[in-house]
Amino acid sequence: MEFWKDGLKTLSILAAATLLNYAVMRLTDSPYNVAIIYLLGIMLTARFTKGYFWGIAAAVSSIGCINFFFTYPFMALNFFLQGYPIAFIVMLSVALLTSTMMTNIRKHQDLVIETEKEKTRANLLRAVSHDLRTPLTSIIGSSATLLENRNMLDEEEQNEMLGQIHEDANWLLHMVENLLSVTRIHDDQVKVTKVSEPVEEVVSEAVARLKKRYPQAQIDVTVPVEFLMVPMDATLIEQVIINLLENAVKYSGSKKPVGLSVEKNGSAAVFHVRDYGVGLSSTQMETLFDGLSNPQGNSVDKTKGMGIGLSICQTIIHAHGGGLKAVNHSEGVEFIFTLPLEGGTTV
Amino acid sequence: MNRKISALIVEDEQNICNFISTTLLANEYKVLKCASGEEALSMIPSYCPEIVLLDLGLPDMDGMEIIRQVRQWSAVPIIVISARTQEKEKVRALDLGADDYITKPFGTSELLARIRTAMRHSSRAGGGLSGPNQKFKAKDFCIDFDKRVVSVGGQDVHLTQIEFKLVSLLAQNAGRVLTYDSIISKIWGPYAGSNNQILRVNMANIRRKIEKNPGDPQYIFTEVGVGYRMIEEDGES
Repeated sequence: MEFWKDGLKTLSILAAATLLNYAVMRLTDSPYNVAIIYLLGIMLTARFTKGYFWGIAAAVSSIGCINFFFTYPFMALNFFLQGYPIAFIVMLSVALLTSTMMTNIRKHQDLVIETEKEKTRANLLRAVSHDLRTPLTSIIGSSATLLENRNMLDEEEQNEMLGQIHEDANWLLHMVENLLSVTRIHDDQVKVTKVSEPVEEVVSEAVARLKKRYPQAQIDVTVPVEFLMVPMDATLIEQVIINLLENAVKYSGSKKPVGLSVEKNGSAAVFHVRDYGVGLSSTQMETLFDGLSNPQGNSVDKTKGMGIGLSICQTIIHAHGGGLKAVNHSEGVEFIFTLPLEGGTTV
Repeated sequence: MNRKISALIVEDEQNICNFISTTLLANEYKVLKCASGEEALSMIPSYCPEIVLLDLGLPDMDGMEIIRQVRQWSAVPIIVISARTQEKEKVRALDLGADDYITKPFGTSELLARIRTAMRHSSRAGGGLSGPNQKFKAKDFCIDFDKRVVSVGGQDVHLTQIEFKLVSLLAQNAGRVLTYDSIISKIWGPYAGSNNQILRVNMANIRRKIEKNPGDPQYIFTEVGVGYRMIEEDGES
């Protein structure tokens, strides 16, 4: 496919060179520029097509064209012109050289992009490994203590340790679900498969799942009165809502109910998660979606989970063609994300 | 009830199998275990367990195949144990005849509740709630099947024919999830096609009539990508 597209390019460049030559011949009546203009055409072809084939093809046909159109006898081929082999060799070399250079440059560019990707992946992995190690350490430690020294602990201490293990394991599960959801976004095209879903069903399921983990959490849900279908990958959007609600419940430092509301605004659905807590500092705002949960040397453990969760939210929303932002309001923080209403299929 | 209910656990992960069996033994069930599909298919006919807990990811065969084969001759309740990322598998398992599913990881109370629900539905299999003067009651929500009246907190709610049919169907299967396709074929008939838009719209209307806050429902829950589940009846969960 791309090969024939390149062929089309070659053809148009050559045609353009030929037309230009005609014009120049008419105006100046001198044949000196003919070869130069074709040379430019060959270079352009080699520059904008892939591989060597079309560059060489352009060189060969340019020679043919010069012979046919612009040397005596006009409109006929005559291979016994003086200096003809030299022109042929020069044009061929230009084509080969330019193609080689372009191929090398492309290889280099691919390498740079690949390295960049590799770097992001490594950073993500490092952040994740750190985040995973903390609860694992606590689980292994607590369970080892229970196995080895159970009779030295009273029942209350034992229960406390078991509770700790349970909590950390749940946290790990949540983390793994987040990571899994990222794999649903196809790597190369950063696109998701959208299906139209009633927004209230997705919202209510997300709230129900959060309440399963935090039974004491209070959430004020408001959905539009009209029936609103939004194209999305429901699993991923649920993940986003859960992450944002969890942040609000865990880190706002407030017992006031968290507000979750959805409304239709023009051609987008707008989701708000509003907490009434401590708010975010300006440095936190800057690094919020970076995926690195360690702004300004705060203890990493204190903010565990916050960083990567939010960066995953952002990846998911961007893959849907929407936007995610955080703003401070007078009594806390509000996360706002939008999802476009166009696109998607009904199943 | 003095007689112990026998349950068969089909699960190849030893740790998970142990945890389920410990839970069930502690709750007065008789437990059979097996770790492969072949074993399951030979144990179900010979031991006739009263409930089967089936993991879909078995080493030797697809769990779907087990459901299909068992359903050819037995109506034993089957609860599928699946991982969270497999909505399509859940739907397939339910449409093949599994009674319910539970998503890994699950708590013990959730597991026991699902087993009780499945057992209850199987013990009144076929009959449903169609006895004389039947009512369905959960919290403030009430259906009187004889009078065809639905009320919330003592206030009658006006539902259309289709809406009443939908609510009744979900109530007859309270506690269990019903897939979109199975609901559509039961309400609109087998030739209604699989476009579930009309179902979603009807459910949204029902939600606006019976729930205080459609965004935080109390009676009918959505399992996005799978189907709908109605809350259990009072005194039975």
